[in-house]
Amino acid sequence: MTTTPTLKVNFCGVEFPNPFCLSSSPVSNTYDMCARAFDLGWGGVVYKTVGPDYDVKITHPSPRLNALHRGIDRVIGLQNVEQISDRPTKDNFEDIARLKKNYPKNVVVSSIMGLTHANDWAVLARQAQEAGADLIECNFSCPQMTVEGTGHKVGQDAAIIEKLTSITKGACSIPVMPKMTPNVADMLPVALAAKAGGADAISAINTVKAITGVDLEELVPLPNVAGKSSTSGYSGSSCKPIALRFISDMARDQRLGLPLSGMGGIYTWIDAVEFMLLGATTLQVTTAILQHGYRIVQDMAEGLLDYLADHGHRSPHDIIGKALKNVVDPSELSHQTQAVSQIDHDKCVGCGQCYLTCRDGAAQAITMNEQRKPVVDEDACFGCLMCKHICPVDGCISYKIVPHHLL
Amino acid sequence: MAPATENHTNTRRPLLTLQQAVAEAHRCLLCHDAPCSKGCPGGTDPGTFIRQLRFYNLKGAARTVLRNNPLGGTCAAVCPVESTCVRECLRSGIDRPIDIDGLQAFAVAYGRQHGVRALARGAARKEKVAIVGAGPAGLTAAARLAQLGYPVTLFEARPKAGGMLRYGVPPSRFEEHLLDADLEEILGLGIELRTGSPIQGDDGAAHLLEQDFQAVFVAPGLWRSYRLEVPGSELKGVTTALEFLADVHNDAAKAAALVKGRNIAIVGGGSVAMDVARCCRELGAGRIYAIALESMTELPAQPDELDQALKDGVIIKPQCQVARIVPLRGLPGVAGAGDEVAGVEGHETEWIEPGKLVPQNARPVEGTGFKLRVGAVIQAIGQGPTDEIGKILTQVKKSGPRWAVDEATQATAVNRVYAGGDVVRGAGTVVQAVADGKRAADAIHALLDGKERA
Repeated sequence: MTTTPTLKVNFCGVEFPNPFCLSSSPVSNTYDMCARAFDLGWGGVVYKTVGPDYDVKITHPSPRLNALHRGIDRVIGLQNVEQISDRPTKDNFEDIARLKKNYPKNVVVSSIMGLTHANDWAVLARQAQEAGADLIECNFSCPQMTVEGTGHKVGQDAAIIEKLTSITKGACSIPVMPKMTPNVADMLPVALAAKAGGADAISAINTVKAITGVDLEELVPLPNVAGKSSTSGYSGSSCKPIALRFISDMARDQRLGLPLSGMGGIYTWIDAVEFMLLGATTLQVTTAILQHGYRIVQDMAEGLLDYLADHGHRSPHDIIGKALKNVVDPSELSHQTQAVSQIDHDKCVGCGQCYLTCRDGAAQAITMNEQRKPVVDEDACFGCLMCKHICPVDGCISYKIVPHHLL
Repeated sequence: MAPATENHTNTRRPLLTLQQAVAEAHRCLLCHDAPCSKGCPGGTDPGTFIRQLRFYNLKGAARTVLRNNPLGGTCAAVCPVESTCVRECLRSGIDRPIDIDGLQAFAVAYGRQHGVRALARGAARKEKVAIVGAGPAGLTAAARLAQLGYPVTLFEARPKAGGMLRYGVPPSRFEEHLLDADLEEILGLGIELRTGSPIQGDDGAAHLLEQDFQAVFVAPGLWRSYRLEVPGSELKGVTTALEFLADVHNDAAKAAALVKGRNIAIVGGGSVAMDVARCCRELGAGRIYAIALESMTELPAQPDELDQALKDGVIIKPQCQVARIVPLRGLPGVAGAGDEVAGVEGHETEWIEPGKLVPQNARPVEGTGFKLRVGAVIQAIGQGPTDEIGKILTQVKKSGPRWAVDEATQATAVNRVYAGGDVVRGAGTVVQAVADGKRAADAIHALLDGKERA
């Protein structure tokens, strides 16, 4: 009889009932929304970014979203031009206080963003702490903030990050977690600057600057906001590979050594485990919730528990970073193992997609026999396995290691 | 020429693969307030288990099915989904409904293959509960009460548990290992199953309360087929659906000897009649007639069962009645007693009062007489409790032939005795019996739990 694992995680000294959090976005906009999320099983929320409202009134463009579909798959990615919270600062901190009062075991992270004055960060950090927030997330990374001196341009500048992190950290005693933009060539310089400024943790990634489409008749990119559009933040499942890359980059760097809160395209427990194996301790979600509602956390939590139990683990901490040792520079990859594709004719339905990709994109190693079944010339096949990737039948094409015959 | 046996379409469907199941789950609209979940009489929750499949929470899907319905693996194969969950599916508004029963079967099979134990015994309680009948209602109540921690003793008259699923549903409709797997998990909760232990005698069920049991749930089923009261019903080759189906399970050679190569008259147009027709086809019968008082649109069989019967070449004779079963004796060239069935005579009928579908309301239509040459007559015109079962709870109130219970709690007029399944509702579906078992278990828990706290 094995013990049921726990989902609790400790993240810079703060205990989360489970690693799953709402990220700072429309899904964490009010007390009622966050309370409903807690009721359905989310461990924490990163409350929608609060800014000072004494000198700037926040409004949003309309429409604020555009989705990327592919075939019958809806929302493989989502672009937004949403701003930080448009609600009064006081109301937001009152909501945070009420959440902590009514859900003391859940974690509330207050996302903050200074606007025109560096000291805004200090004022907001104090207000967040007074409201009872467990952590502060510094939003250094929103790609479409329209107020000068904010957004991802801050997140691309190591010196500013260090300064603003330091100001925030100096104004409060709770942990501070700067949120990184992926719109950089390398996240380490900015993440290390945050650490130098006193950061206790890092969250990543914010959205990727993108254009999701163009209206062919109006000649306006999407979302079409009164005849114009902008490059702006792109999120969702198609961002996951980019997010995993940045999380593993930071987790592998010995100089950083800070706990990571990962996000970017998490839909299922499988995505969650991938983020954890590459170094994330807590996980944040928005786009999947926009598409399917808060209820999906139940499947993330149950699936993660089953994964932990099936592999004999007691806690999510047992798996954090466990795949990092297997991430190496491309120059370190072995070229000694070579393979050819192997096609199971019993499973094959005879569509010939493997034949086409091999003919037009690879080694011309596949021919179709008289029964419409693909036959691999193993001497010609160079094992790219593109045929396996596009094959519509699970398990039909496999990777067969062969003695290295090219070197 | 009768349709060849090999043309019979076996309705057992192959299990979906993981790829097929996940793809089908992706077709699901994941409706808010899922109508499919509201469409299940047994409270199964497809809206949740399909979402779980969609998000690769595969074991979770199995748990959801089995915690709502411990016979979920079996029900996936035998449920009349087209009149329950699938009928409610909103995907039909776009193209075609989700294959809910296919996904349920996949979820349970996946869970079983991957060691999911969905049910767990609750903290031990001391109040003992007796259950009479290990059919779907009794098994469900037993599972639920054991999950709540009650010691449960299940009294079953037959050699094996399963009730009609074991002895009444044609084997070709589902694979018996599904029932065995469901049973293994249910009985694994520590339920004491006493097979070959009928509860008998006047007020036998009520007397259990004097034997250390704090509550009793009675779900013995309906095991007596009604018989036609027509000349010739005593002839050799005249039998009942229950006897025939029991033979199909236990003594296939005997069942085959009755029908193979012969034309068959099945009397009745309900699900049981269609089950009998299916078995007759499988056993190599000649022409198969189903003779029913109802019109084609009134037939009580489920649409998919009727479809299957028509595909099997069953000749449905709606609005017809058998008036006489004809013996061989007296026919030219017959030697010996001649007390075997040679045919049936009947006529078409109409309802005296439209819409009142009971035999007393049917009358013959003049000039519509027919004769059919058949070698066996199988009566599937309804079922009632056996005489023995009729005695075991003499104080129970009756509503017609059925035992009367409180709809919300399954409580009978006898204090601390509850009843459910076919004895209460007539020959119903498995999932209705499951629902009865759940309701009764919850009511018994409320009774015993309340008592303990008082």
